[in-house]
Amino acid sequence: MSTTLYHGEPNGPSLTVLATLFAKEVPAELVRIDLARGERHGLPCAREPPVAMSIEGEGPVLVADGEAMTDSVFIACYLDDVGRGPALRPADPYDRWQTMTWCRQMIERTAPAAAYLGCRAHPPRADAALLPRIGSVDLGARWQQILAGNFSEDHLGDSRTKIRQAVDKIEKRIDGRQWLMGTFSIADIESYAWLAGMVPLVPEAFAARPRTASWLARVKASPAVARALSLARTPDPAASWSVGPEINRWG
Amino acid sequence: MTDVTLYHWEPNANSGKPMLALMEKGVAFHSHYLDLLSFDQHQPEYLAVNPQGTIPAMLHGERVLTESTAIMEYVDEVFGGPRLMPEDPRDRWRVRWWMKLMDQWLGPSFSMIGWNVFVGPAVRDKDPKELQAAIERIPLPERRVAWRKAISGQFGAEELEESRRRVALGIRMLEEELARRPWLASDQYSLADINGFNLAYALPVVWPELSNDELTPHILRWLRTIYARPATKACWAMGRTSMAKRVAILEQPHTTPGQPA
Repeated sequence: MSTTLYHGEPNGPSLTVLATLFAKEVPAELVRIDLARGERHGLPCAREPPVAMSIEGEGPVLVADGEAMTDSVFIACYLDDVGRGPALRPADPYDRWQTMTWCRQMIERTAPAAAYLGCRAHPPRADAALLPRIGSVDLGARWQQILAGNFSEDHLGDSRTKIRQAVDKIEKRIDGRQWLMGTFSIADIESYAWLAGMVPLVPEAFAARPRTASWLARVKASPAVARALSLARTPDPAASWSVGPEINRWG
Repeated sequence: MTDVTLYHWEPNANSGKPMLALMEKGVAFHSHYLDLLSFDQHQPEYLAVNPQGTIPAMLHGERVLTESTAIMEYVDEVFGGPRLMPEDPRDRWRVRWWMKLMDQWLGPSFSMIGWNVFVGPAVRDKDPKELQAAIERIPLPERRVAWRKAISGQFGAEELEESRRRVALGIRMLEEELARRPWLASDQYSLADINGFNLAYALPVVWPELSNDELTPHILRWLRTIYARPATKACWAMGRTSMAKRVAILEQPHTTPGQPA
């Protein structure tokens, strides 16, 4: 079984997959690519539908025995299935349902907001030669908007609201428990991965949220996340952003 | 006696997903039909079950579950009957990847067009005051915007065109995938097929110029096979409108070009 992970700085979707890989002790070759330069589109598997059409935008790619997989939460579920480390989803089906719906909210509402705000504060700098290789027309359009500095006030305001809502949800959820689903899970990793970089960008969302603050610290200090963060090549990996998922165009 | 109750609309799209999954597993359930076009889903009785006012929702004993795709995974894990998630972890990844593409990228484009041509006009003639009140009861702001646009026919030409582009591309992607395998994401009938059928069963009727026996033989073969399943028939028998009644083209026997390579 040969496994290769193409990943960026440990933030957002790359952090989710790296931390899961380490927690599950899955052996893999780690290959660094610069997602903020669009280097994913230069990979040999770039034209395969899961890579070209990934809903997640510029996320990592895990290639297992020749099959290119994308979308960090689902890669994390795959790693949870194949790895030997402790389970990263609860055993009870209802708790697993909660984990999947929690992650779905993160993917659908929080991630687009975080990537939008993150790209505005820390714009990705695309390699012009790679842009024409982007297979997805809608991802290409998002790149063009971001490179041109076109950020709509509506989307910025909506994105801040989404971050506030996510933090409110965590603050309520973490009451009386250490981890979002009771035990350390993909939900903690995924939520941390998108929200860590939002603390300086939407400070009001985190103000007077003591439980969220201690949860963020706990996730950061967890061995798998700490190991993923130790791979950072920039002083603050949470300031590394590339084009994310689309802000939903239909209610 | 069953302790499962499903709140659903017609056996298609999001409602149809858990309905068909339950039928395939042979799980008996109380059916609680909500008429989306009468805004039953935003009435206090239903908001007490699902405060977000989205359909479907499922009760299993004391447990309340929402989000159709996640409900299907729960149904598959918790009940006996045939497994609807493959055993192989990579197949499972593929099932989830395709479901997400359909839930978040392709489905919303079908929806926008469907709401523009069907849902909006279907409710437009109601008393304006009643409509206004109905919209104000919608809990999710994004849904309020969607309903307003549908009712007043305010979808922009550009966004409708973008939806049509995605539908055309999505059809090509489905055709290519189904040329590779007998089922959408693996070699066995799975949640991805249930999800896909509920999204795509009307393709050859609504988009005959894009999906037909010549252009998309694998899609037609796939739809016909699912259409003929006893669970699908039982599911469709629960419909109350003409939305999921009979699709004549899916009742024709499929021809050999649609066999997977």
